[in-house]
Order: sequence, then structure tokens, then C-alpha cells
Amino acid sequence: MGFVRESFGTAVGLILSLDWEVFSAVRTSVGVALWSIVYSSVLGIPAGVLIGIREFPLKRTVITLLNTLMALPTVVVGLLVYGLISRQGPLGAWGILFTPKAIIIGQTVLAVPIIANYTLSAVRGADNRIISTALTLGASRLQSAFQLTREIRFGVMAAVIAGFGRVISEVGVAMMLGGNIRGYTRTMTTAIALETSKGEFAFGLALGIILMIVALIINLLLNHLQQR
Amino acid sequence: MIPQFNLTSVRKRFGERVVLDVERLLLWSGRLYILTGPNGSGKSTLLSILAFLTKPDHGDLLFSGELVTWAADELSLLRKRVTLLHQFPYLFDGTVFGNVAYGLKVRGIRSEALRRSVDDSLELVGLNGFDERNVGQLSGGETRRVALARALVLNPDILLLDEPLANVDKESADLLERLIAFLPSNGTTVVMSTHDPHQGERLKGEVIRLLDGRVNGIGNYNDKEAQICPPMKMHAI
Repeated sequence: MGFVRESFGTAVGLILSLDWEVFSAVRTSVGVALWSIVYSSVLGIPAGVLIGIREFPLKRTVITLLNTLMALPTVVVGLLVYGLISRQGPLGAWGILFTPKAIIIGQTVLAVPIIANYTLSAVRGADNRIISTALTLGASRLQSAFQLTREIRFGVMAAVIAGFGRVISEVGVAMMLGGNIRGYTRTMTTAIALETSKGEFAFGLALGIILMIVALIINLLLNHLQQR
Repeated sequence: MIPQFNLTSVRKRFGERVVLDVERLLLWSGRLYILTGPNGSGKSTLLSILAFLTKPDHGDLLFSGELVTWAADELSLLRKRVTLLHQFPYLFDGTVFGNVAYGLKVRGIRSEALRRSVDDSLELVGLNGFDERNVGQLSGGETRRVALARALVLNPDILLLDEPLANVDKESADLLERLIAFLPSNGTTVVMSTHDPHQGERLKGEVIRLLDGRVNGIGNYNDKEAQICPPMKMHAI
């Protein structure tokens, strides 16, 4: 118990002293998570709406696939994207392996199915008069889809929050595609894994506390947006 | 003279069930039509087809003499001329103003002209000063009046009303009835479904009686024959 208390005290000290290494990991984590959530929202929200409102062959199969992809292990995503962007891979010429961009790509792949699926659930639960009301008032199909998205914005926001929760807390993609390079691609989660394995429990705990605080702040911000 | 709507052999199925089977029906501009018939007789389906929201499985629909092909671009243009008021209207989340202005905004109308049109339309349905009210604060009758204002502000060529006076308080029903009766004199074609035979009588429209998805009679409301005569024996078709 004394060990945990002592570690907790050291962790608070590291946070209050604005330790460079701690805040570098925080900055990288938040930066890549925010970018990946922007990209995955841009892809996932329209995909969820489209799958929800359109009838097309193999729709059920697509939905089953999306459900399966939600449970995709992060290391599998890491492996697949690694295969694409490593030097021998088809996108090797981009030279982005072990950079924050690689982590963003991997985390985007991870979050798209989650955001699309939650959005799809929101569309399925929406009032079926929304689209026909918009259409009969002269909206185009695109405008009516926008109106539907606006009406289900709470569900969409929940989708974004769920996606953010997934990417801010994952380790596999950041480790495999970022390489855990100190001050460059080291995120909070990869730093926690590394420092704890080195016996630096206090440092890991400090990052763990910050991770929880950051997640709380982002969720509060999103909730605030949701209520506007 | 070309009819506004000309339906020939229009059929619609839901699963195995034929919900609408109209051999021939002509609707003329600037008139008031009252669709009657029991539940499940096809009134809502017919209105939905006339609103270009539901494509029939079979048959031809001519609008102002032109065959409707149901292509996306064409539908977008046609829907700007026809507005359907659902039986249970859906108001978008937000204010009364936002709802009434919606159709104008998607037509690219903005600023002062939009504000003036919305105010005029709300005045028409007796809801002046309601513009900033949240739709969650409206009663059932007020909701229907806002939905009608939202349709009227667009000044449509054809207004389709699916049981607009059902479950509405008397004050709202009287006002809506007066408005509906006035619209054809303004050049708007009105097609309205109702269960209440007295409403049809008061509004003095032409009755189209549906039974099991088929047109069972057409005529003036006072014309008792309308209740029993097959359509081909009646006028104008």
C-alpha cells in the first residue's frame, strides 16, 4: 500500500512539475487521437448514414462486417497497416512508418467501424418521417440526409465519443506503427507500457492519471457540444 | 386543358398485398379533392405517390402532361411543386421559425425575404409570435398548424393533406378548415384525405372514394351517387 501511495505522490509531483517527457507523451497522444477522430468521423458518419437510409444488395453482410470490425484487435490493425506502409509495402514510398502520421492512419482504421456502427444504430432508431418530411419540403437527397444527421446528432456525438475512447486508450497501433520513439511517437499508453516494464511505476501512474483526466476533459467538451 | 395529375393503371404492393390499384384518375388544377375511404383503403399511399415520395410498382403517372420517370433529378424538381402534410407531422428539432423556414432555405432563399415569408405564413395559421418557440412546447393542434405553415410558406402548386383535421382541437380544426377551403381560389390544388364525412360536406370539394385500393366513386359531396358509382360513369375522367 505504501508503495502505491509513494508512487501516487511521485506521479502528482511529475504532473505538477510539468515534466517534459510526460507532457510530450500527452501532446502526442492527444494530437494523433484528435486527428484520427476527425478523419474517422469524416468517413464513418456518412458511411453509417448511407448504410442506414439506402437499400442495396448485401446490406446485411456489410452490417455484419461492420459489427465484426468493431472488435478488431489493435495489433491486427497495426499489422495490416504496417504491411501497407513498411518499405516493402505498396505505400512504402511514402516513408511514414514510425511517424505520428502512421499512428493516425492506424487509429482511423480502428475508429471508422465504431463511428459508422454507432451512427447506423442512431439512424435505425430515428423517426422514419424525417427523410420524407425533408423531401416533401423540397430538400434534395443530400439535404435530407444532412437533416437526418442533424436530428440524430446526439447519437452521432455518442459515436464520436466512443471512437475517441477507443483510440486514446489503444496501445497496439501506436506501438507497432509509431515505434514508441521518445519525444516523437511515444504516446501515453506506449509510455505507460514501457516505463512500467522498466520498473518506473510512478511515471506510468502519472501518465495513467493524465490519460484519465484528458479523457474526462474531451468527454466533457463533447458533452457540452452535444447539449448546445 | 391538361390535368395536373393523370394516373393510368397505377398499382402499389406492399409484400403480397396490393394497397393501391387505380385504373384511371385525373386531378385538375385549382380544385379541392377529398379522399375518403376506410382505414387501409389506400388513401395515404395515393397521397405519397402524388407527392413523388413513393414510386408505384406499375402504371404511368403524368404530371402536367409529362410522364414522371422517377429519376432523382426530376423528383427533386417535382417535389418543389408538391408538398405533403403527413397525418402525424414531424417537426424538426429546434424552433418554429427553423421549421417554417426549412423549405425556403433548401431553395436558397435567405435573409429578409425569408423572415417576411415565415412571419406571413405563421400569421395565416394564427401563430404570430411563435417563431422562437421550441417545437417541444407546442400542443398537438399547434404542431399541425406549424406543419401547415411550413407547407404554405412554399406556396406549392399542389398541397396534399393526410387527415389534417384528425385529433385536432376545435379552434385549430376550424381555422385549418377555413384555410383549406380558401386555397383552391388562390390557384392551389388541394387533395385531402379524411374520415369525417361532414368535413367533406363543409369544404364542398370533389370526393374521391377509395375502397380496397380502388377508386370506388368520384363526384361532388352532395351527389349521393358518388358513394356508389364506378368512376367511369362520373364526370371528367
